[in-house]
Amino acid sequence: MPESLALLLSVAIFPGGVFALGLGLGLKGIDRRVAARLQRRVGPPLLQPFFDLIKLSRKQTTVPDTSCRPLFLALPPVGAASMLLAAALVPIPGIYAPDPMLGDMLVLFYLLVVPGMVLMLAGSASGSPFGAIGFSREMMLMLAYETPIVLVLVTAGIRAGGGDGAITLSLTEIMHHQQTHGAFLFDPVMWPALLAFAAFLPANLGTIPFDTPEAETEVLDGPLLEYSGAALGLFKAMSALKAVVVLNLGVCLFFPTAPANPSALLVHLVKLLPMAAGVTVLRVSMGRMRVDQAFRFFFKWPLALAAASVTAAILSR
Amino acid sequence: MSLIRTLSSRSPWLYRINAGSCNGCDVELATTACIPRYDVERLGCQYCGSPRHADIVLITGPLTARVKDKVLRLFAEIPEPKVTVAVGICPISGGIFRESYAVCGPIDHYLPVDVNVPGCPPRPQAILEGVAKAIEIWKSRL
Repeated sequence: MPESLALLLSVAIFPGGVFALGLGLGLKGIDRRVAARLQRRVGPPLLQPFFDLIKLSRKQTTVPDTSCRPLFLALPPVGAASMLLAAALVPIPGIYAPDPMLGDMLVLFYLLVVPGMVLMLAGSASGSPFGAIGFSREMMLMLAYETPIVLVLVTAGIRAGGGDGAITLSLTEIMHHQQTHGAFLFDPVMWPALLAFAAFLPANLGTIPFDTPEAETEVLDGPLLEYSGAALGLFKAMSALKAVVVLNLGVCLFFPTAPANPSALLVHLVKLLPMAAGVTVLRVSMGRMRVDQAFRFFFKWPLALAAASVTAAILSR
Repeated sequence: MSLIRTLSSRSPWLYRINAGSCNGCDVELATTACIPRYDVERLGCQYCGSPRHADIVLITGPLTARVKDKVLRLFAEIPEPKVTVAVGICPISGGIFRESYAVCGPIDHYLPVDVNVPGCPPRPQAILEGVAKAIEIWKSRL
């Protein structure tokens, strides 16, 4: 009983659930403020994403006549729930290591695909032509960025698996390996993989230059166009949680050095900030790529870099 | 409950409807969002592309016969609670287009208008004041 209770707490309170949602919305607030400052505007209050979420929970949820009603309403909770679970799957260095019962890197990878799938289905279930365009673009982009990220995860697995050809699929083991042998951030073999991961970040978070599926000025938020009220709020919560999951994953894969006491949480937050700021700076300083350009980009540079890292990791073990 | 209402009222999302406007007022609306001096985002506002996300509706233009049905349909798609702001003299009285055979306005014959922002076009400050008034009204409806 205590064990299942601990599992439940890790999904619902820390590091999933309440903590991850708060962190995600906080990062989103910082992102919006930094973006405004870079454009020399005052910007919204730091707590703006929280206000948005509270407001959305109080608005009417409309369902269009042309939509597939059950699917349309079922998708937002599925997306948010998948990310709650994923947040509990990523270790936080020095603070939290997930119970192996929850799942390993493969489960995490599948869960990371869920938000994209949910958005694709939401776009097609809404019955709006803009949603359909969002659907096809989301699919193209997912096909493009999933391949390099698989290779990045495999590289980390090989690197942390030891010399005898073993691959570890446990993020906790990858983390422990780096804490004893030095972070992958300072490992030349992992540098191409790090660059590939840096390209994956904005694509997975759906920010400029890779926000093609939800491009506001082209397809008016695409899959989210027909959503309103609490359902839209769940999608906002989903993307906030996803940001936390992906950034945590980055810290865990490349730089999990941390003191073994509660101050590690502070260290972790400090590590998240430059990554989030990097995404923001990229967002305000670039234009949006067309989906075919993004597709070609991912099958050129990140794939080549990730493949180079895998090869180097295999040769050097 | 009133705390939640206060927090909610700090997130009014704006939606623009061009009801046959000459684009002058629309340029002024873009000014409130894009020019650092007037930055409407500090009130928590955000221009959204979908009527389903809207809280405060900004209508420009004299409501021409051609767009009347579309505007009314769009307005019906906006979830409650919502507040309507008529921006510019056109939606209020028809402006220079009044008595034209192509114009059905004034707009408050068809829609409940909460705030009027007259001007041809109104200054960005006036639009911001209109939005601030609309937020007050919206808060009482939340």
